[in-house]
Amino acid sequence: MNRQTLLGWSFLSPALMAVVMFFLLPVILTVVFAFTNMSTSTGILGGEYQISESDLRRLPAAGVSNESVEMLAGAGYAVRPETLALFASDFGDERADELDALHGGAVFDDRRAIERALKDLRRDPIRSVRDRKAAAEMFRISILGQRYPTEAAFADAIADIGVPDADRAALTEAAYTGWTFTTQNFELLWELPATWRYAMNSVVYVVLTLAFNVSFGLFLAFSTFYLPTRTAQTFRAIWFLPRILPPVLYVLMWQWLTWDQGFISTILRPFGIEPINWMRHTATHAWTFIVLINGCVGASLGMILFSSSLRAIPETQLYAAQVDGANRWQQVRFVLLPQMRWPILFITSYQTLSLLTSFEYILLATDGGPGRQTEVWALAAYHTALSNYGGNLEYGLGAAYALALVIIGILLSALYLRFFNFRELVAKPRIEQ
Amino acid sequence: MQIKLQNFTKRFGDTTVIEDMSLSIASGEMIALLGPSGCGKSTTLFAISGIHRIDGGSLHFGDRDVTTLPPQDRPVGVVFQNYALYPHMSVAENIGFPLRVQKLNTAEIKRRVGEMAELVQIGNLLKRRPQQLSGGQQQRVALARALVRKPDVLLLDEPLANLDAKLRLEMRSEIRRLQRETGITAILVTHDQIEAMSMCDRIALMRDGQIEQISTPSEMYERPASHYVAGFLGNPPISFLKAEANGKLMLGAENSLPMPQGVDASGPITLGIRPEHFGPQHQGPTVTGRVSFIEPQGREDLIDVTLPDNQRLRAIVPAGHDFALGQDVNWQVDLSRTHLFNAEGNRL
Repeated sequence: MNRQTLLGWSFLSPALMAVVMFFLLPVILTVVFAFTNMSTSTGILGGEYQISESDLRRLPAAGVSNESVEMLAGAGYAVRPETLALFASDFGDERADELDALHGGAVFDDRRAIERALKDLRRDPIRSVRDRKAAAEMFRISILGQRYPTEAAFADAIADIGVPDADRAALTEAAYTGWTFTTQNFELLWELPATWRYAMNSVVYVVLTLAFNVSFGLFLAFSTFYLPTRTAQTFRAIWFLPRILPPVLYVLMWQWLTWDQGFISTILRPFGIEPINWMRHTATHAWTFIVLINGCVGASLGMILFSSSLRAIPETQLYAAQVDGANRWQQVRFVLLPQMRWPILFITSYQTLSLLTSFEYILLATDGGPGRQTEVWALAAYHTALSNYGGNLEYGLGAAYALALVIIGILLSALYLRFFNFRELVAKPRIEQ
Repeated sequence: MQIKLQNFTKRFGDTTVIEDMSLSIASGEMIALLGPSGCGKSTTLFAISGIHRIDGGSLHFGDRDVTTLPPQDRPVGVVFQNYALYPHMSVAENIGFPLRVQKLNTAEIKRRVGEMAELVQIGNLLKRRPQQLSGGQQQRVALARALVRKPDVLLLDEPLANLDAKLRLEMRSEIRRLQRETGITAILVTHDQIEAMSMCDRIALMRDGQIEQISTPSEMYERPASHYVAGFLGNPPISFLKAEANGKLMLGAENSLPMPQGVDASGPITLGIRPEHFGPQHQGPTVTGRVSFIEPQGREDLIDVTLPDNQRLRAIVPAGHDFALGQDVNWQVDLSRTHLFNAEGNRL
């Protein structure tokens, strides 16, 4: 490797690092997460082993025999040095010593037996029923609710209470509280009717917003193209405002415009129209405003790109069209628009990609409402993984949602790269026009 | 179609480019607007086509006042310097565009495009795109597009400027042929005197937004109305000598020429002698000087002669002479074909 190559790489390295950190790494992590059942309850680090009362019901389904379940539920009461020590601290050493002498090492199958043993202490029997119960509980050797940090510790514990070998593997798996690798996210996505609804919502959102963006961007570009330069610049600057405004503020203004005591309602009230929340009244209202909110941002990009490519068309072509007898509409239709094919295609493909993954304006405007009728795929991913009303954030499932977007995005990008043939786009211009 | 431009004024912002210019062109005539860049010749053309609005004055095509008509409604065809072909259309679509916007039916458009393509001899290129054509072919397409609407006036804005020398020669006669065949009134804007002289019936020589002289090419060459016109036309250019008129023309202490017939002047004047009217092969009064430069041209040589007062005269001398650098010569001037200009630059 000579010095020039080295220099090239060193100049490239910041870009490469950015690609790795902000594209490659997130994609890889998304793929990994999508194949796990990570959620708030599993945590993102490793887990422990624990069987709780509530777990008992689902154990048979996980492949644990009823015998073992009963064993776990019933457990037993053992008189052992460690349980005796516990007992001694509350009920006195004398009683503990006597119990040790009478029943040391014994295991009682049910509570009544251990309670009887406690009642039958000769020197100082425990007479109060409540005390007896509390005391009996101290000898209990159930593993329910106990946390075992390692698999080995859990294995010892279930061996102790006599769970048969055949059930141990299934039980260990069921007891694990951390995350595991699984494909159930994708099965779930496939099965849930909501998934298909989100997909349809995304399609509606992308198609409508794109149509608005491109046509409105074209309209703005053409209308400012025929205006005097200064006026056109002012006009364009105004239309650029939505893009440079912070999204939260921008959407807040739309909210103010549309809420039931807002601008639209106030204006319409004298005409006898009942004030409603224009943004969230029905799904149609919501979609209209989502398209408008996103469209006004997106159209400005189209406007800038279309305007500059319009200005790149030699002026004499317009002169020629004029003396050829073309009126303004014919100039646009036959001379200008056909030469805008590439910028229009570029904006279309670029915005398809960015709209597919963008949800911030929907989040701020309707948050997927009313109901879930404007919940698009990307927003569903966000809600599932990061902002869930129930509080159980399902990182794994959310990542599975996101992975679908990543795959669509990469496929589309590859398609566009081929389609646009970038080498041809940057080809040297011919000297003689 | 007769064109009459009266008191035409054009301003761009605060700058007045053309003020009070008048020009009239006979029907079927081809006229050249000749001048250096920035003299307002293209501006005049664009005003006649309607692309630029006229700020003052009037424009008539025949009896029809077209001063305020938009370009779409004027019976003009324009060929632009860069041809301004539509890159996304084929040759046939380019030529047919003026008819298409008139919503003529396809068969009619096809017929007339075919006709036009035959006229400019590009019938075999109709399916190509402009990028696939040579400069000369693009030029022909532009001509066909300008003519397909059957306009009354053909406007050509530096149509040969982007062509190489050989093509330029070819297209020069081609454009003239088309103009003659169609009998169209044509205006050619050019900065090239050869183009103007070889292609046009009359030349309007422009300077700073004004017409300096308008006449036939030979008239303009032989009787330039001003110092400027004389200097603009002719290649190699005319030589100007400062002279003192007092019954004779004094060229410094050593040289003098008799006053040409019919000229009456005294005091400082400028004498213009074209290179082809000075040299050893002419008849007339002589001027003494020293050969200071020889430039062989093949058929003839250009020889500079420096007079004793350091003014320079250029001569065209047939090849085969034996003059050498530094040689003293005494050469004849064809006095009847010299030009005299007063201090203001006007012809005497």
